[in-house]
Amino acid sequence: MTDTDDPDENTLISRMKSGDQQSYHEAVRAYSPGMLAVARFYLDRSSAEDIVQDCWVTVIDAIQTFEGRSGLKTWLHRIVANRCKNRLRSAKREVPMDFSDGLDPDLDSRFNASGRWEIPPKLRFDESADTLMENGALSDCLDKHLSALPETQRSALMLYEAHQHKSDDVCNILDVSASNLRVLLHRARQKIFLMVETFQETGEC
Amino acid sequence: MLMCRDLAMIASDYIDGELGTAGKLSVKMHLMMCGNCRTFIGNLRASTELMKAHTSGTVDEEFVRRIDERVAEALEAKERGKGNT
Repeated sequence: MTDTDDPDENTLISRMKSGDQQSYHEAVRAYSPGMLAVARFYLDRSSAEDIVQDCWVTVIDAIQTFEGRSGLKTWLHRIVANRCKNRLRSAKREVPMDFSDGLDPDLDSRFNASGRWEIPPKLRFDESADTLMENGALSDCLDKHLSALPETQRSALMLYEAHQHKSDDVCNILDVSASNLRVLLHRARQKIFLMVETFQETGEC
Repeated sequence: MLMCRDLAMIASDYIDGELGTAGKLSVKMHLMMCGNCRTFIGNLRASTELMKAHTSGTVDEEFVRRIDERVAEALEAKERGKGNT
């Protein structure tokens, strides 16, 4: 018996436990992007994809012991994180992380010596996110800049924003402290802000 | 007193409601007086929402198809294993 708050998730878990192939298809589609974001925090893309595939095969047996103490998503993300950590440990490697605080240099240079705006933001991003996303060029530009973020920042941002984990869960899955998670989110958001601003002002990526 | 640059340093924490009472109050006081920082916070929030809207629905179809195939093989192998016991 599982005990998550979501009845649809409970049904999905029951179907997975019974070996229903369609339920796995639905779960793979729903949860693999987040699992890949976790794996990319630790590993290069190719190794990360391998780990996620291997995890799904493991899940077929492991789901029988899933008790619902956390949501299915968090459980899957922890499985991926543990596998990645084991892989790194056996290879005696560590994730290179930069937790230096502060402003992105491109943003920092827009303040004068007294800490006031020298080059303030000119435009307001008034349109809703959904309206803006109808702009294909902006969407491509976001892809490009998300890809260019350091892995650690991108994974933190993806888990927190796109996959809507709570801070505690992200810290747990990625093995970072709460203050270091704040730094990763802060730096990633500044970069995305600067990108969107440039795009809005110039139409260029 | 909080300057614009100081506010930019803690803007992400402010958006997420992670600042303490005193920090939150000093940001709100600054925002009441500073239009540039109001625009900055609004735009930072908007670009974060945009990123969220952009990434939430992103699925790599080829990657998902490969996993589907492996899972289907593993499920079938498990079924066959049951049949043999």
